Amino acid sequence: MLEPQLLFVKGIEVEREGNPILRGISMQVKPGEICGVLGRNGAGKSSLAYAIMGLPQYAPKSGRVWFNGQDITDWSVTERARAGITLAWQHPARYEGIPVRDYLSLSNPEAGENELSEALKLVQMESHYLDRLVDKGLSGGERKRIELSSIYLMKPKLAILDEPDSGVDLLALGEVMGLFKILATGGSSVLIITHREDVAAACDRSYLMCAGKMILEGSAEAVKRYFLSQCEPCLDLEPSKAREVAASHG
Amino acid sequence: MDNVTEEYKTLVAIAEKTGGEAGSFGSEDAIYVVVHGNNILASHALPGVRIEATETEDGIDANITVEAGVTVPKPVHLCFGHLATMGRQVIKSRIRLEEKASAEFQAHCIFPNAIEFLHAMEGEIHLGPHSNFSYREVHVHGPEGRIDVRPVSRVRIGEGATYRGDFTLVEGRVGNLAIDIDVEAFGRRSRVEITSKVYGKYDDFCQVRDIVRLTGPESSALIKARVVLKDRSQGKFLGLVDGAAQGARGHVDCTEVIQGEAKAVASPVVQASHPEAEVTHEAAIGRIADEKIQGLMAKGLSTDDAIDFVVSGLLR
Repeated sequence: MLEPQLLFVKGIEVEREGNPILRGISMQVKPGEICGVLGRNGAGKSSLAYAIMGLPQYAPKSGRVWFNGQDITDWSVTERARAGITLAWQHPARYEGIPVRDYLSLSNPEAGENELSEALKLVQMESHYLDRLVDKGLSGGERKRIELSSIYLMKPKLAILDEPDSGVDLLALGEVMGLFKILATGGSSVLIITHREDVAAACDRSYLMCAGKMILEGSAEAVKRYFLSQCEPCLDLEPSKAREVAASHG
Repeated sequence: MDNVTEEYKTLVAIAEKTGGEAGSFGSEDAIYVVVHGNNILASHALPGVRIEATETEDGIDANITVEAGVTVPKPVHLCFGHLATMGRQVIKSRIRLEEKASAEFQAHCIFPNAIEFLHAMEGEIHLGPHSNFSYREVHVHGPEGRIDVRPVSRVRIGEGATYRGDFTLVEGRVGNLAIDIDVEAFGRRSRVEITSKVYGKYDDFCQVRDIVRLTGPESSALIKARVVLKDRSQGKFLGLVDGAAQGARGHVDCTEVIQGEAKAVASPVVQASHPEAEVTHEAAIGRIADEKIQGLMAKGLSTDDAIDFVVSGLLR
């Protein structure tokens, strides 16, 4: 009997400006699991997150995406979000004039003051942040943690967290990583996009990406070991060389 | 219930949702004027404030004076509007703040059903020495039709006096808007702040013309405009500060955001007629970044709702 899948990606190919950036990616996320996608900078991890979220500029030219048993390949970002997928961006956008309170309430209009404060507390932020604006007045790390709070409030079926640790100081990193478990315990599946093996270590299972391809799937520990011992920085490679490296991984 | 009462109730109910404090209209300790078309439905003043208003053929003519040394503790509410679909309303006013007087005026211009309408405000404002005046004008228009809005103000500011003007038209259709504000800050250390917030849609036309002449030594001015245009709307902004006195300082700041097929022109003009004046400007015209819209769509908002959310922050 097949294991139930929440997200099932089958052979997607994505090009940007004529260059292939995702090349035959297949993967799945199971209900309630914390799944990692590990890889060097430039491996295509964020592109995969955008393709799953349905950003038009990352629409696959081939391959399909299923979510909760439905083919969502042609669905818009809004439709996917309403079906239960959301994305915490690596560099969340800023919104001039919008208070944090209003921004968080988008994720859960029913949430009261206490729930909003609680969501901030989970990422080590005080409730006075509710009155701050989601604009340039926040540091990158503060903005990032607010984004993670909003994901918590949304209680999605699948939370895609793109480099959830980026810009977050060491003191808050523990809380951010603890949030993965809290999300999973609350019934969400979590897909973590990261280039850090210690973040990937918090996952139940991981994939390793290189030059737009999935080259390994396994336990978080096995993928981490391979990553540390074998991977070169893809960012330093010419695209043709990167493709050679990926091809060498089969 | 007769028509006058119904008109009063409707206008006041909308005004109270647009920055008017609930219960201000009709209260014994508040100053207010309510005008429907050319009918003065209600008017109330307090000691230290004189309101002389007369009905004209197509609107009213009013003189409002805040006497020397008087601080009006609560905002003065001016509710102008019409519930008809067609017509015109011309409000002529002369507002004078005497020495060391202080007041905040809130004008609520309410035309919820207008399809073909002219609404003109022709105001003269004289601020005596060390007076302090805030004027906030909020418009509420219906979602359909066109309305010609012509707010014209001539402001003169005496020594040490402060003028703050805030024009907001973000609900309903703009129609055809031409804001024309001309300020002379002739008093030493007089101060001017003008803010305009406009949200144009469909084929609205929004023109903002803010001119400030700083002829008083050490006077200062800030002109700020936030204009959001979508669909096929068009916007044109001219903000001019002339530093015409020793130590005068001015700044013009305009941001126009366009979506769809909207078009915008921004002309921040700074002029230093006096060699010891300092005037600066910044202006930007841009689209709402995809990442902002998509970030909100990933929370389940439609594209239009995401744009409206971003705009609500820009115009707040």
